[in-house]
Amino acid sequence: MSSWVDYTINGLIVGNVYALVAVGLALIFGVSRLINFAQGSIYLVGAYIGWVAVVQLHTPLPLTIILVAVAAAIVGLIIERFGLRPLQNSVRIAPLLATIGISFVLDQLVMLTFSPNPRALPSQLPDIRFQVGGGTIGPLDLLIAGVGLTSALLLFVFLRYTKLGWAVRATAQDRDAAMQMGVDVNRVNQAVFGIAAALGGVSGLLVGMYYNQIDTAMSLQATLKGVVAEVVGGAGNVPGAVIGSLLLGLVESYGVAMLGTSYRNLFAFLLLVVVLVLRPNGLFVSARQAPPEPLTGTFIAPSRPVQIPRWALLVAVAGFAILPLLPVSFYVLQTLINAWLLGMLALSLTLVAGTMGQVSLGHAALLAIGAYTSALLSLTLAVPVGLAVIGGGLMSAALGTLLISPSFRLRGHYVSIATLAIGEIVALVILNWESVTRGPIGISGIPPLSLFGYDLISPASVYWFSLAVMVVLALLQGRLLGSHLGRSFRAIRDDDIAARAYGLGLNRYKSLAFIFGGFAAGISGGIAAHLYSYINHETFNTQQSILALTVVILGGLGNVVGAILGSVALVGLPEVFRVAAEYRILIYGIVLLLLVRFRPQGLLGTV
Amino acid sequence: MSNIDRRSLIKGSLATMMAGAAVSRAAFAQSSEPILLGVSGPLTGPNAQYGAQWKQGFDLALDEIQAAGGVNGRKLAYQFEDSQSDPRQSVAIAQKFVSDPRIVMELGDFSSPASMAASPIYQRGGLVQFGFTNSHPDFTKGGDFMWSTSVSQADEQPLLASYAVKRLGLKKLAVLHLNTDWGRTSRDYFVKAAKEYGAEIAVTEGYIAEERDFRSTLVRVRDANPDGLILISYYSDGALIARQARQVGLNQTMCAASSVYSPKFLELGGEAVENVHLGTRYFPEDPRPEVKKFIAGFKAKYGGQEPDAFNAYSYDAMNMAAAVVKIGGTDRRAIRDAFAKVKDVSSVIFGQATFDVESRRVKGAMNAELVVRKGQFALWDGKPT
Repeated sequence: MSSWVDYTINGLIVGNVYALVAVGLALIFGVSRLINFAQGSIYLVGAYIGWVAVVQLHTPLPLTIILVAVAAAIVGLIIERFGLRPLQNSVRIAPLLATIGISFVLDQLVMLTFSPNPRALPSQLPDIRFQVGGGTIGPLDLLIAGVGLTSALLLFVFLRYTKLGWAVRATAQDRDAAMQMGVDVNRVNQAVFGIAAALGGVSGLLVGMYYNQIDTAMSLQATLKGVVAEVVGGAGNVPGAVIGSLLLGLVESYGVAMLGTSYRNLFAFLLLVVVLVLRPNGLFVSARQAPPEPLTGTFIAPSRPVQIPRWALLVAVAGFAILPLLPVSFYVLQTLINAWLLGMLALSLTLVAGTMGQVSLGHAALLAIGAYTSALLSLTLAVPVGLAVIGGGLMSAALGTLLISPSFRLRGHYVSIATLAIGEIVALVILNWESVTRGPIGISGIPPLSLFGYDLISPASVYWFSLAVMVVLALLQGRLLGSHLGRSFRAIRDDDIAARAYGLGLNRYKSLAFIFGGFAAGISGGIAAHLYSYINHETFNTQQSILALTVVILGGLGNVVGAILGSVALVGLPEVFRVAAEYRILIYGIVLLLLVRFRPQGLLGTV
Repeated sequence: MSNIDRRSLIKGSLATMMAGAAVSRAAFAQSSEPILLGVSGPLTGPNAQYGAQWKQGFDLALDEIQAAGGVNGRKLAYQFEDSQSDPRQSVAIAQKFVSDPRIVMELGDFSSPASMAASPIYQRGGLVQFGFTNSHPDFTKGGDFMWSTSVSQADEQPLLASYAVKRLGLKKLAVLHLNTDWGRTSRDYFVKAAKEYGAEIAVTEGYIAEERDFRSTLVRVRDANPDGLILISYYSDGALIARQARQVGLNQTMCAASSVYSPKFLELGGEAVENVHLGTRYFPEDPRPEVKKFIAGFKAKYGGQEPDAFNAYSYDAMNMAAAVVKIGGTDRRAIRDAFAKVKDVSSVIFGQATFDVESRRVKGAMNAELVVRKGQFALWDGKPT
């Protein structure tokens, strides 16, 4: 019995750790309706500034905290001023993507400055432990809880009782109206970013001290858990973020207690999906309150797509088709094979995100389903590879649509978060379902691609095969978009209420889009499995989902040619920058930021 | 220009200039070009620290190799391509290396997905893929161009089990392992051996690499009431587990796999890792000359920094590569055949390394039995803790 006391205490302690990140996220979401994917990076920056203060300058704890808070706030102000303010009038997705770019840049800068080796960040509090249950609690645990709760309380008071707080809430409710009432919206934004960044920085410091360990890879995990906690509590709701964090901590702890450690994150993301399905606005936002997103075309930039003449496309395809006959190196072919595989994934995503308006951050799950299905079909049931790949596509279409269907009633950012969770859940199921997926050992010895009994092994044949598959899928999708069905898709994207009034069944159309999209993504995953011959649960990860989203936004949402162009660009750019070695991701992040800044509707524009 | 080690390049061109001045201007064309090895590994991304450690080991080995006159009279150099340990990138790098005639063999990649995704390309391209951190049991099954000096867990884990069960007398064990291909394979070999030695496995818990919080896991372990904890971990998660074990009131004896062997383990774990037992394949105070030379060279080159296991792996790998090229020359196929021919290459990990032609791995890893005492790794004196 006493163990359950311990599980509860542990859950609350780690929940407090999550709360430190979630509160900052909630504050920013409250004002800018923006999920700040750079919050984890500010947390990282805070941890390293803390390390400099503690280990190099030997500052006492109160001074360390102040130093970290101020420095992180400055970073936050810089991000707001130069990264996000220029994007004010562009589409909603632009700032989201910008925060991803900013997180690349910050993480990379920290890594280049401090090296990727983990460092010890000693706690500056005395090491006294109080016996509670069978375990102990120390001063740092209490300090973390104190900082989490106090900051939530202070923020609550600030938002409710101060003039600037009112301005923040007014801006959150209706930016234009607030501006007309004389609120300096930019100042409000600045204040919010400064406060959120200070909190993020301090949380990095405290969490680093808690674990006595900081490293440059800790930011993504912090962002993910923070986002989950925040959305569970009700996006934009500061006290809700704290309660959501504690709840997340408890659910994880009890999950470990009942089923074991490897199910921990599975529980976290299941909690998120359940909450989103039952209470789409989060637990602590009144259900009657209007959804925080406007209902129409949230993410879509008004733009005129660049029309590429048919003959130019034909010439381009022909040009790529004869490439292997020219004296080009296998490396170039392999890079392009990667681009064609990513292109299929991007086609899938541009259909559901661009044409249908369902921005997915978990698209890698579709790749994984296709890859595992195809690999297992060919290995254990000896299905010919060509058929197995198609089987992978069908399984992704069916299973993917089924998994994503609970998110159909969600809107805007919530769709992204739900799909992010589903992506994680699929990866964790693959990790834990050992009897089928072979768990962490992965699947090796997957037979190479073959067609009608002929193995496709040479780079040229794999190249032609994947190019052909991608072109066929692109043609099909182009045909689909031009049809009545495609117009219905766009109608739902642009105004789902009007579409419903005209008698369109939303769920059925969304399902159709995911079925087609899932098929394309599943085929891509299937081909990849046979190309690599070895896959495991890490082969198709969140970064892959983010890359796919970047690609379709770069190309222009809903734009078939844009998706392919984006794939070639984003597979090609890192290869071009390969010479830059450690600086590669930094440059990639900066390029991403510049693209978002100057071409938010994508290279070819939104269709 | 790509990431050819800048120092060796500068040195190389200096040597070229001197050679040119001393002999004739036409003579240097062929032999002054360094023999080039391809390295595919993480320089950015979540595993970047290991790529950085690889480079330190490589550079140290190369300094020594060049000082001894290079390989067959030519300098040895490497071209490090950043894969982020991502299979998509490692396959592109594989094509790049395979189609670059200057590359005579490849080293890496770091993780199994990235390495094994690239294996078919190396196998078909006829370029040796020398995976020196790939303990996945299937890595060398990718083909006869896959070779590895990574110690098979089938070799290492029974040594750890024997330390824990036979020498320390632990009878009821809790195993915490990283839930990756490496951790899982290691766990299975460990559990099998420990049972053979008569121990009972009370509980096994697998955790993912990003995990930071282990308190609830450790309460579960506490409830199973073991008399020893086995950590199949890297140093950073191992240190975290040790710290948090003390917080939930677990004071049982802890044993850890050799992968925690790093000065960082002591730094990150602090007092909590005191008395942790571990088997390791090399130990700075090991009197063997290979180890002494490695430690001294490393400290001299990197400002007194203590090397750790990954530094040792990469240092050994580069020396092995040099030994192989010495026999095989610059022909890729001959290099593959040379792996079967090299004998007793001086190695930090193995003492003397010779490949087992069947498994294409080195057999006979040695373990030093260590314990953390007063914040330092020390040879275990046989006293229980």
